[in-house]
Amino acid sequence: MLPDTTGSWTPVALSADLPAGTVMPAWTPAGSNALWRSDSGRTAASADRCPHRGMRLSHGFVRGEALSCIYHGWSYARAGNCLRIPAHPGLAPPETIRVATQRVEESDGLIWVAVGEPAAAPPRLEGLVPLRSLTAHASVAALETAAGATAGPEGIVWKVQASQTIRLLLAAQEDDQTLIHVLLRDNSSPAQRIAASRAAETLRRAAEALQAKGIAP
Amino acid sequence: MTHNAMIDEWYPVGLFSKLDAAGRKTALMGEPIDVARDAEGNAKVTEGNGRPLPVRVRYGHVWSSLGAPQKALFAIPEADQAGRRFVDVGVVRVRCSPLRAVENFLDIAHFPFVHTDILGAEPHTEVQNYKVEIRDDEVWATQVKFYQPQAAKSASGGITTEYMYRVPAPTCAVLYKTCPPRPSEWDVITLFVQPLAEDLCDVWPWMALFDDTTSLTDLIHFQQTIFLQDRSILENQIPRLLPLDPGMEIPTRADLTSVAYRRWLKRHDYTYGAQLVAQ
Repeated sequence: MLPDTTGSWTPVALSADLPAGTVMPAWTPAGSNALWRSDSGRTAASADRCPHRGMRLSHGFVRGEALSCIYHGWSYARAGNCLRIPAHPGLAPPETIRVATQRVEESDGLIWVAVGEPAAAPPRLEGLVPLRSLTAHASVAALETAAGATAGPEGIVWKVQASQTIRLLLAAQEDDQTLIHVLLRDNSSPAQRIAASRAAETLRRAAEALQAKGIAP
Repeated sequence: MTHNAMIDEWYPVGLFSKLDAAGRKTALMGEPIDVARDAEGNAKVTEGNGRPLPVRVRYGHVWSSLGAPQKALFAIPEADQAGRRFVDVGVVRVRCSPLRAVENFLDIAHFPFVHTDILGAEPHTEVQNYKVEIRDDEVWATQVKFYQPQAAKSASGGITTEYMYRVPAPTCAVLYKTCPPRPSEWDVITLFVQPLAEDLCDVWPWMALFDDTTSLTDLIHFQQTIFLQDRSILENQIPRLLPLDPGMEIPTRADLTSVAYRRWLKRHDYTYGAQLVAQ
């Protein structure tokens, strides 16, 4: 997270993990979001709750440029306004039916969701490419302890082996879990990619062990 | 919050046919209870401290109450009608409010999306106007019609099914539905919900059908498929408790049964599993 005076950006997913026409849950400090990509490739994030009957919209489905709730098929535009209520096909949904939306930015293969109204764009990660994301059942603090490093505004720089460092972006989740995005230099070899992936898993296990023993701060 | 109004109601606590002397440990509104068959073959329900609780055996199930029920268990006249097949479907545990489980059962608009190609299918999503009323202090919805690709195990193709819904108790609902093999009668499908806690329930569906051909296994599988699809919804609604504050969720004309059910709950102080104030 990158706090500034008015808001912050949370890295929620890798671009590659959200294909066109799909939706997934994405957590920020402001709560759970339905993060989706329309058939034409545009991303959007809304509150993860359909105002009709409270169903999680992240369980829904994407068709065209709309996100639909899986319960009754109510569909919403990227801007959050309700487009269609299938039980009443002839009815134009009133403007008052809408879901709250959050700003989404996508750059360097990462998707960022805003909390509040950050003045600046999310940080650029030039020269880096995302490798994978993984979820640790451990807090950010436990991961920092395991890595022997403190997460700055642009994550943790971590030495995997003598000649290789990787970048880890950490996003706190519900229930003391942490989403880890692993990035590495864009000229990395397949062997270095494998080493980075294994190193991230080793770090996750170490942090989970610290958390389980209650050693983590 | 007071739960007194619901304490004195009857609740299903198990299938009578499955009782044995060893008993079944379960819960009712947060209290541990034991449901067993005594030496004479009668159902016996006791609270954790050994206190015996009132017992009825009806509609395949054992019924009990933590309080002192003032009313008899509601009547289902079709349960005594000759020629019907009575089906104990079993139990589905759902991590949701017992009231949310009932409300979902009263809803038809979700059929095309949740029970796709069984109880509904796009583009047949429209819910036509139907009637809702309070009859003898029960919620009734009548003239409910919906297009269904496979309305019942005994249905061989798509038909427009007519439904009637009835809520005779806060956690029980009875559905009367077009009976494909016998157009002059209604099939009866019930939802008996055992409130284990405010946000956890055991759902016991039960059926009284005119269907001599479908095997018992197929009938049970059909209903279990439907209820497992419903569970994927019920465990992901926010909040878990049923909001009785009208500002919390947005009903439409298709939700008139749900609106009447929520008002009826509120009027009777049936608030175990409900959220009264928006949070």
